[in-house]
Amino acid sequence: MSTKKIDTIVIGSGISGLTVAGLLAKSGRRVVIVEQNRKPGGALRRFTRGGIPFDIGFHYTGGLGRGQILEVLWKYLGVGTEITPVPMHPDGYDFFKFRGSETEVKAFYSYEKAKEQMCSVFPDDAAGITSYLETIKHICRKIPFYNLSLPLSPFLRDFFSTQDQPLTGAIASMVKDRELQAVLAAPAFLYGVHPEKAGLAMHAAVAHSYYQGAWGIRGGGQAVVDAFLKILSEQGVELLTGQGVERIEVSDGCVNGVTLGDRQLRAGQVIYTGHPAHLPGLVTPGSFRPAFSHRIKALEDTISMFMVFGRMNRPADLPRLDRANLYCIDRNFNLMADPAAAGNGSVLMTAPGRRDLDLSNGGDRSGEGVILMRPAEWSETMEFNENSGKRGDGYRAWKSAATENLIERAAASFGAACFDIEPLAAGSPLTFRDELGSPAGGIYGVQHNLEQFVARARTKVQGLYLSGQSSLMTGLLGASMAGLVTAGEIMGLEETWDRVRK
Amino acid sequence: MLTDQEIRERITEVISEEFELEPSRLVPEATLYDDLGLDSLDAVDMVVAMEKSFGVKLANEEAIKAVRTMDDLCRLIINLKK
Repeated sequence: MSTKKIDTIVIGSGISGLTVAGLLAKSGRRVVIVEQNRKPGGALRRFTRGGIPFDIGFHYTGGLGRGQILEVLWKYLGVGTEITPVPMHPDGYDFFKFRGSETEVKAFYSYEKAKEQMCSVFPDDAAGITSYLETIKHICRKIPFYNLSLPLSPFLRDFFSTQDQPLTGAIASMVKDRELQAVLAAPAFLYGVHPEKAGLAMHAAVAHSYYQGAWGIRGGGQAVVDAFLKILSEQGVELLTGQGVERIEVSDGCVNGVTLGDRQLRAGQVIYTGHPAHLPGLVTPGSFRPAFSHRIKALEDTISMFMVFGRMNRPADLPRLDRANLYCIDRNFNLMADPAAAGNGSVLMTAPGRRDLDLSNGGDRSGEGVILMRPAEWSETMEFNENSGKRGDGYRAWKSAATENLIERAAASFGAACFDIEPLAAGSPLTFRDELGSPAGGIYGVQHNLEQFVARARTKVQGLYLSGQSSLMTGLLGASMAGLVTAGEIMGLEETWDRVRK
Repeated sequence: MLTDQEIRERITEVISEEFELEPSRLVPEATLYDDLGLDSLDAVDMVVAMEKSFGVKLANEEAIKAVRTMDDLCRLIINLKK
């Protein structure tokens, strides 16, 4: 560690941490990133099993079109040239089918095509489909991340208020078919909130980026992490991995550094990108008033998932995976309840590695990988929580039964070819608790819903800021924006925004 | 059913504990911002603390924006409890 004074310590190396570090470093600040995992990247990391690279959290994103926010931000940060976006197939879509029904719907990554398809499957709701999609577009015209001519401050002050209207009410007032209602609510999977609790504006902010056109990235989320690490290192940003912060040091209401094991790093600014529930326990006791600590510890987590990462031995038997994510769901808004024992609930299947294949790299085996998912509850794995690290035979038996069950359900949903999937790894609520730092294995941090106020970037402690997907929006796009907003809180919101979009 | 006086006492108790303020400062005429030093960041915590303690929904209440003093806050909660 060089002896030069550190301006800002960023805790966490997910995309929020990398983005905020990049923005601050580009403005000449000296930044150190501290990551408790051995490998940086948070939910964007890839891992390899059986020679096949798998993405943990990155499956597709919006915002990478010319002049769109991620393209603009990444160009500004200098990572744009290091990352190769791969547009989804021109006929790419989220494919929906329903248990006990013949209906099939392709929710294309295009407003025009999605509208045409939905209107042809649900002709009685054609007028409602049009007005719903127009409503989403209308809402997003007021979001600066989609309309780069807008200032940031009014949006941050007013947009995600609890004045938002309930999503299910809005959808049900426009379309009557229960299968169609489910299709329109399904982007809720991308921010992990039960539709019954979701707000229309947050839903629109997430759904819009896909209806506008979706992208993969060559090399998956890991390619984004690697690009950032390269550029950040050139800018003198230091990265400490495998080092958990034990304490964020606060005195007289001001932050003055962090303690890591046997040493201290001093800095006048600390940005915490982890799960908000852990923050009160990390700061010097007494730094926050009880009201704040109580509130953020009580924030409800997003849904967890059970995932199977496997090898598809005969990929040609599931041709749709080249251009689609597959969903088998219930009618209406009951998308996320998963009484696992009853065998109901949603099943998702995706193969991002097949779409983003690096054809120039003959050894790239990511195309063989397939990921199965279903919503999961913390209570399913809670009993195995005790033996962290070595969880023992009970957990292994549970996981293997859950894997078998999910493959069976995928086969029932998408075809017998799923029985050919050879499971290589599985992720449970416990896995995500440990890998992502969510107390109950939530895959997107805390819920952005109608019922709770999340913790935004600024705190009452001078120099201590929050970022991460819990603080603003979820996903690659949302978490990147959270990084931008936190950098803006430090360097001036509109000034930072102006520099990025110039 | 709490009496108005009991509600006022409970509000004083909650604010004193949650915001670490001396109960003697929480007189009806005390303004939340100037006299008690609370700011816009505290406002959210205040709303959540009141909602939790009294089982009311404040977030969508237009009236919350007009609250300036301890007395305003007490009146609002008393009204919502009716």
